[in-house]
Amino acid sequence: MDLSLVTFAQILVAVLAIIGLMVANAVVMVYVERKAAGFIQRRPGPYEVGPWGTIQAICDSMKLLAKQIFVPANVDWVLFFLAPVLAFFPVLLLFLPIPFGPYLTGLAVPDGIVLILAFAGFGVLSNLFAGWASNNKYGLLGAARAVSQSVAYEIPLILALLAIIFQTGSLSLTEIVEAQGSYPWQWNILVQPLAFFIYLVSLVGETNRAPFDLPEAESELTAGFHTEYSGMGFALFFLSEYANMLLVSFVCATFFLGGYKGPFLDGIWWTFIKAYLIMFFIVWIRWTFPRVRFDQLLNINWKWLLPLGLINLWITAIIVKLLP
Amino acid sequence: MTGFNFINPFGVSDEPGTYLGDFYTDNFEKKATAGNVILNLGPQHPSTHGVLRVLVELYGEYVLRAEPVLGYLHRMQEKMGEVKTPYQYLPNMGRVDYLNPIAWNWAFAGAVETLAGIEVPERAEYLRVIAAELNRVSSHLLWWGAFVMDLGGVTPILYAFEEREKLNDITQIVTGSRLTLNYFRFGGVGQDGDARFFKLIEEFIPYMRERLKMYTGLVTDNVIFRRRLEGVGPMDESLCLRYGATGPILRAAGVNYDTRLAIPYGVYDRLECPVPTGQPNDCFGRYMIRLLEIEASLTILERALASIPEGPTLVAKAPKPTYKLPAGEVYFAVEGARGQVGCHIVSDGGKTPYRVKLRAPGFSNLSLFAEAAQGTILADAIAILGSLDLVIPEVDR
Amino acid sequence: MIRAIWDNLKGLYSLLVGMKITLIFLFSPQKTVHYPRKTVERENLITYRGPLELTRGKTDPAVTRCISCQMCVKACPGHCLTVVKNPEKSVKAPIEWKYDFTLCCLCGACVETCPTSALAFSHRIYLVARTREELIFDLLADLKARVEETPVLPGEEGASAEAAQG
Repeated sequence: MDLSLVTFAQILVAVLAIIGLMVANAVVMVYVERKAAGFIQRRPGPYEVGPWGTIQAICDSMKLLAKQIFVPANVDWVLFFLAPVLAFFPVLLLFLPIPFGPYLTGLAVPDGIVLILAFAGFGVLSNLFAGWASNNKYGLLGAARAVSQSVAYEIPLILALLAIIFQTGSLSLTEIVEAQGSYPWQWNILVQPLAFFIYLVSLVGETNRAPFDLPEAESELTAGFHTEYSGMGFALFFLSEYANMLLVSFVCATFFLGGYKGPFLDGIWWTFIKAYLIMFFIVWIRWTFPRVRFDQLLNINWKWLLPLGLINLWITAIIVKLLP
Repeated sequence: MTGFNFINPFGVSDEPGTYLGDFYTDNFEKKATAGNVILNLGPQHPSTHGVLRVLVELYGEYVLRAEPVLGYLHRMQEKMGEVKTPYQYLPNMGRVDYLNPIAWNWAFAGAVETLAGIEVPERAEYLRVIAAELNRVSSHLLWWGAFVMDLGGVTPILYAFEEREKLNDITQIVTGSRLTLNYFRFGGVGQDGDARFFKLIEEFIPYMRERLKMYTGLVTDNVIFRRRLEGVGPMDESLCLRYGATGPILRAAGVNYDTRLAIPYGVYDRLECPVPTGQPNDCFGRYMIRLLEIEASLTILERALASIPEGPTLVAKAPKPTYKLPAGEVYFAVEGARGQVGCHIVSDGGKTPYRVKLRAPGFSNLSLFAEAAQGTILADAIAILGSLDLVIPEVDR
Repeated sequence: MIRAIWDNLKGLYSLLVGMKITLIFLFSPQKTVHYPRKTVERENLITYRGPLELTRGKTDPAVTRCISCQMCVKACPGHCLTVVKNPEKSVKAPIEWKYDFTLCCLCGACVETCPTSALAFSHRIYLVARTREELIFDLLADLKARVEETPVLPGEEGASAEAAQG
């Protein structure tokens, strides 16, 4: 791909739009999550700041910006400040290949999913740096958990996606969407229900959300890898957590739920509706289930998801080979 | 600002005799194997419910040793008993264990009544049973929510608080307060329940049974919850008896010991209170015992409401504030939500008792933790700590 | 093996049951009482025993029934009451009645020992103070203010009923 001026300008605009999307997503999702948690727990959630508490999340982010950045003694300065930045910036890149609409893609690369999966690995690196550099034992335990969890859950995630890739015969996200129809019975979720299930479980594990929020398990490790972060450092971790959630939801919508295709009219809103339904699912299970134990988390992955994913992949491969 | 020390990240010196922590940490560290992580869980930690501090030696995620450090919430409750007259000391009992104040009320009032030979009217005895069982349900409910929160489920505690609000409304009618209840008087209770009091209890019993079904669906049958608890932290009979554990922990270990039946007090022997046992002795068994105890308490409440007689609620010559205890010594024990609540009074006939000793069940139950947590994963250790149902103010007194 | 798979499927079903319960609660009404907009219903409020107040006198409501016998002061475990006798022996009513709410544990020893039932619990659940001094009440002035505000109680017995509103 030659990096012409037009492509460069396109990427620049896309990155700016993605930053806007990330921030807006975090603000909206914080509000939605707190409201949903409140309603599930039969209390109103944010209520006082703004009408129905709508600007609560904005005020919270202002507070985080204004807070003192507290640096504990004996931290590794370089890694301590690199970690939140490293958590935030790769996510920008991850949104580029996502087809939001029929023609709306930040950077239509032919093998977009490889880009996403490759750069998703930076997230765990930032968690490791944060836990290690902050000179805190809770942080270190959280970092150790984050690494082994992310490494483990990326494999079934890839296996689930590979089944779809085998079926479609393409690594391009746009082509995967185009291979699906406009109506729910034409989506990949019906062709590959097992892959969808595996992806859904490993999505929660990959984004470190409850019930798989072991790296920041509140009742065990206080806050895990970001125990020592305050102010903007914490805000960046927070932002990247929600951005990661949004990313895996978009990928899920693209691969299994027909992406921008939908009944009546194809369009960008279908992508967002589907992605946010999955986001709501993540929020919903967070406020329902207790946390799993760490060995159980790895057992679920290595003993169930991985064999299931492999079997699913083999069957898909055989069928694809036999029925061309 | 110094650079990061890669060789010795936690700043612990290898030279003998130079430790950086306080007395407890230093002592603990001396026995630690080099290279293991010494971690202070608490005093401010989300899962220690107050200011309990637990020192753990970790090998990876495995807890090699654990040692609770107490005393962060010591309020000299026993000493206070020596400087105040019994009448003035009675309101304090609600503050010893703020989640189960009625049991403590009963322990102290019962001890004084036994020593002074005061007869309690029949109706007051029934009101005491009703208050104690309501309070037991309320205490178990809060434990239920907090325990699930220790395991990572944040929502159930707010459902538990819904029921607790109802219970607080009920107990407020007769005691006037919502948390540190002061209901008992020497020779009776503070106030008779009115029609609304009994009506609310009658409404509460079927409501609570419905909610217990919801609890079963949301938490008890949840596969994540069960796999977190089943087989975790077994405490067998000998361990419980060695450390003096009582209450649900002892009953989960298979010992059918309940102070309400073993040393009957009040009118419990007439109410034939059911005592649930026969659960496994792991964390899940202790969890189930407490849920079954809520049901048992509801049954006792029904029976007590059915057979409550009319009459006075306070003896005619109830002790005055300046009442002097006769010389003597007495130990009176009742069954609290956490185990046997005991009160030992030694009086020399003076204005104030010579010595008041409070037996807190939480203190003995906590002693089991060090042994039960050995060799478990950190998350399991948290689960074991939660299953002991600790209230730190009561442990420290 | 088959058993393990079956157990896990049952486990997944139990997760669905839990999700159904929270979904039902998500769409059911809330239990919260928004304090400044809504308050606890009155029948729940009048059972609350808040800070002390002096009851109204039998003949003149603005004159306390207190006879300065000091029984409450002796009974109080927190030493929060100060009752100053009138220097003239003929008048029994106190000249000063100070009540330190910061020390009070609301145990009710004073109310129960008072021989003339001059003390009662108020129901001031929404009591707010900015400084410590605001919580040291002069109960004689408080009684006078209450009587001036509502000279005759509307139907209800006991001086404490009106304080629930105020």
